[in-house]
Amino acid sequence: MLIFTLRRLTLFFFTLVILSVFAFSLCYLFPGEPIVNLTGRINDNAAQLAALKLQYHFNENVFFQYISYLKHIFSGNFGLAMNNQLPIGPLISKLLPATIELSLVALLIALFIGIPVGFIAAIFHRKPIDNTILILSMIGYSIPVFWLGLIAILIFSIYLGWLPSSGGIGLIYEIKSVTGIQFIDILMSDNPFKWQAFRSATMHIILPATVIAIAPATIFIRLARTAMLEVLDTNYIKSAQAKGLTFFEIIYQHAIRNALMKMILHVGLQFVNLMTFAMITEVIFSWPGIGRWLINSIYQRDYTAIQSGLLVLSTFIFIVHILTDFFYAALNPIARGKRFGSR
Amino acid sequence: MQEESVLARDKIYTEEQFPSPLMQLWWHFRHTNVAMIGFWCYLFLLSLAILAPLLTEIGQNSSNLDVLLLPPAWDSAGDVSYLLGTDDLGRSMLSRLINGTSLTFGLSIIVVIISMAIGVMIGSLSALTKGIKSSILNHFLDVILSIPSLLLAIIIVAVLGPNLKNTLWAIVIVLIPQFIRVTRNAIKEEFRKDYVLASRLDGASPLRILRYSVFPNIFERIINQATLAQSAAILDIAALGFLGLGAQFPLPEWGTMLSNGVDLFYIAPWTVYLPGLAIFFAVISTNLVGEGLRHALKQRKES
Repeated sequence: MLIFTLRRLTLFFFTLVILSVFAFSLCYLFPGEPIVNLTGRINDNAAQLAALKLQYHFNENVFFQYISYLKHIFSGNFGLAMNNQLPIGPLISKLLPATIELSLVALLIALFIGIPVGFIAAIFHRKPIDNTILILSMIGYSIPVFWLGLIAILIFSIYLGWLPSSGGIGLIYEIKSVTGIQFIDILMSDNPFKWQAFRSATMHIILPATVIAIAPATIFIRLARTAMLEVLDTNYIKSAQAKGLTFFEIIYQHAIRNALMKMILHVGLQFVNLMTFAMITEVIFSWPGIGRWLINSIYQRDYTAIQSGLLVLSTFIFIVHILTDFFYAALNPIARGKRFGSR
Repeated sequence: MQEESVLARDKIYTEEQFPSPLMQLWWHFRHTNVAMIGFWCYLFLLSLAILAPLLTEIGQNSSNLDVLLLPPAWDSAGDVSYLLGTDDLGRSMLSRLINGTSLTFGLSIIVVIISMAIGVMIGSLSALTKGIKSSILNHFLDVILSIPSLLLAIIIVAVLGPNLKNTLWAIVIVLIPQFIRVTRNAIKEEFRKDYVLASRLDGASPLRILRYSVFPNIFERIINQATLAQSAAILDIAALGFLGLGAQFPLPEWGTMLSNGVDLFYIAPWTVYLPGLAIFFAVISTNLVGEGLRHALKQRKES
């Protein structure tokens, strides 16, 4: 496990290096002055820019520029957003938790739908139930997420009026942002109406989270079905049958556990997909998260924001990958072997 | 084909003939009904994409101000000469949707072909290298694949500027790493097998082995990846069009049409649900073909 951890950590380190080089090189690739793209100070005069160049070592070669960029990033200085000249660091630390919250809820919904349905499909392999589930999952996988979001708003917000269609919480509630994750903030606040606020936040998250969850849920259905079929085909299931256990005992005591284990790795890999869907859905539902902010930044040609957004979001996703790898290895001794660790 | 050969075998049993791997694949594919439905839908879309300018009598951008926001023909207020209604500028939805096929669906095929060519090339070169070079490439691919495809496309569009052509290049770049990975893994797997060893013992160079021994055997896996990539490409082109980063206003790209209709959603829902259905139809027929292909591959392996 120690060697596995070390290998993973070096991989993580190199990945971060590559990512940061990529993010840094963007300031040269984007149109305009590299130093302005990097710091976002569009209103500065020539003298101020010269001082900035000195501060960021822009008079020296690219390597020192990159090192000084790293230093600034590690001290939490991401520069200013070009469109409103506010520091990006605090902005991201406010926006990223909202996206994490949304995608975590979506992930939970996707898991709670996907895995049991996939197991059911596997148990009734090649029966009508299995085929129906497969067809439904194919449909769910093919629906464009932005279209699904619009249709969901039309049905549940306009025609039925059950759920609100935009924002993270009702405008009348004022919750002080501590962790940035709204549910925790609400529970921590001493607002007398915090349960109403909690209810409002729940109502607001249901629709966007479900829309995001549909496509990953269908993928989980297929993965869970495959995992379960593989497990049901193994010898220990056959020996359990030979022992005379009933079918449901086998499923409960042997199959589900082992099939769930296989799923953990896929959950981490699907997180990238989920974030992509979350970015689009945030635009449609005006969710105050990092995806909507990034896409707005593109409309406004806010290169500093795009650069830092890329770095933060990709790092976050990579951390999730590493964590699922660890989790999987901790639960499953086979995965700690050399072949997996050295990949 | 198969029935014929069986009959022939009954008559002259010595004249035994085996269909080629590709014919076997087609034979299994043809006997999956759902896959064939998807295949016909795919061919239908393909012919629409190629023949679009010939099929539409009303031009994609010719507007008729007398019939703004006309509902589809099945509505009581509809008109048969505008079968799927009109949008806010009086343009025929049917004509725009048909012309949009060559943009969203047709261009997605071109995008996949380009990225497949590049990806397979890099993938096979990297499969032949060993040691530190291949390890660096592997980690680099890991990094690229950990960036959400849409985010990467957005960044590339931000560098190049938003229009349809740049979006296509962005999607090409986004799809390449997956092709590299699939090709690389497939080739490495084949190289461990005995038949490659046999031709290597015959003195064949690695490139010759690739060309004559390995490629015919991994061809289907690459095509399989291509169907996956195409459904992703359709969704990405449409999503970028919807976000206003891809095809720009007068082009009848499905995602762009959908985002134009959003403001009119409540008075003219067909301007939103029709392009959405078109995207859905294109993606699901691509997925059905892909699924049928995987199924046929699996069956061929088992038989």
